[in-house]
Amino acid sequence: MTLNGIDLAKQSMMDALDLAILVEEEAQERYEEFALQMEQHRTPEAAVFFRHMVENEAKHGRELAERRSQRFGAAPRKVTRAMLFDIEAPDYDAARAFMSPRRAMEAALASEIKAEIFFAEALPGIQDPEVRALFEELRAEEIIHQALVRAELARLAPDGPDADDFVDEPVAQ
Amino acid sequence: MNVTSAPEYQAKDYKSDLKPIWCPGCGDFSVVQGIYRALAAIGRPPHEIAFVSGIGCSSRIPGYTTAYGFNSVHGRSLPIAQGIKLANPDLLVLAAGGDGDGFSIGGGHIAHLIRRNMDITYIVMDNQIYGLTKGQLSPTSQKGRNTCTSRLGSLEEPVNPLLYVLAYGAGFVAQACPTDLAGMAAIIEAAIRYPGFAFVNIQSPCVTYGEEGQQVKALKAIAETLESLGHNPADRLAAMDLAQHYGSKLHLGVFYQNPEPPPTYGDLVKERQELMAQTALPRERILDLFLKK
Repeated sequence: MTLNGIDLAKQSMMDALDLAILVEEEAQERYEEFALQMEQHRTPEAAVFFRHMVENEAKHGRELAERRSQRFGAAPRKVTRAMLFDIEAPDYDAARAFMSPRRAMEAALASEIKAEIFFAEALPGIQDPEVRALFEELRAEEIIHQALVRAELARLAPDGPDADDFVDEPVAQ
Repeated sequence: MNVTSAPEYQAKDYKSDLKPIWCPGCGDFSVVQGIYRALAAIGRPPHEIAFVSGIGCSSRIPGYTTAYGFNSVHGRSLPIAQGIKLANPDLLVLAAGGDGDGFSIGGGHIAHLIRRNMDITYIVMDNQIYGLTKGQLSPTSQKGRNTCTSRLGSLEEPVNPLLYVLAYGAGFVAQACPTDLAGMAAIIEAAIRYPGFAFVNIQSPCVTYGEEGQQVKALKAIAETLESLGHNPADRLAAMDLAQHYGSKLHLGVFYQNPEPPPTYGDLVKERQELMAQTALPRERILDLFLKK
């Protein structure tokens, strides 16, 4: 997780909302990338799950954008995507060709945990009570998302052969 | 390179419609994002950018970037990039490829672009393996590495890309890693802004043929920024000292940036052309040069 040029302790409510929107946007794009990668590599079940995550992140992003718009209208955004990296987006190296739905869900779960940690670690330093309430709300949402993913994982049948079994072994050319 | 910062372009404006076919989990996915971000920060429109590569997984990168692109032949990205820059000096020219493309078959070209100080940014995605051809030993593979072409372990010392370019006198030398996309984008941006040959080595793991210790999580555990070490990027000897740790430590940031960049080859060519133009014969008298007086 990386933040550049954002002082979480002193951020305004508008900046905090913009940061939250961008966090969702980054995650949405990453899941979109993962879905495309899975489609390219004939891993349709994982692709379907990542598409589902794209919709989820987009939905949360829209909700936050609506709140931002009602509260601050079209005031220019000061926070940019260049200031953050991998807050809620799954790590690039979490994707694998032929990954099972279980491994895809585990990647998503790790991302939700990562996001929760981000909000939890920021909370003690935040001075503005409104921003603090927003971060507490966002943290709580991440915990709910984790529970949802865990419930889905519990419903899945155990994985078959390890996905890495399908990766080509190095052979002399 | 004279560049202006204009916030009118966003990273997504440099993303092409082609879908990357790299293995899921490949480090190059974040490298291309870092390049998009750097280009957005520079703010040059895509039609003012030329992106040249050689052959290999990473050399697909111009196809995934909205700019003029040339996925050329193995090891020849730099001569082609040089030709493009000389033919159209106003273009922002990037070259990219892997460690095999750059330091094996293309290794001979780097020295000449450096000594000419060609205003080109060269990005090497260093994964210490030939991934596209299924995992053969590459010039940066560690000694003892077991691959399909070194079943009992490599007997060769690896090339040190950082020392290689520093020794030839490159004016900008840096290293980045997908563990820090924001840092990588900033380094690529600084490389593009440097007026002359700029080299960025990116430790970009191969998820299919790379070893466990070379994957992002392992790299994240050992990465340390040169800034945190108090390194002064204007100190070339200190840069060479730190560069010796390539392969054992992972230092990220700018190793060396010449505080007084010499003129680029393009500047010198332009100066020579202007000088010659003063004494040039008019077109109708051009054959007089070959006639005895």
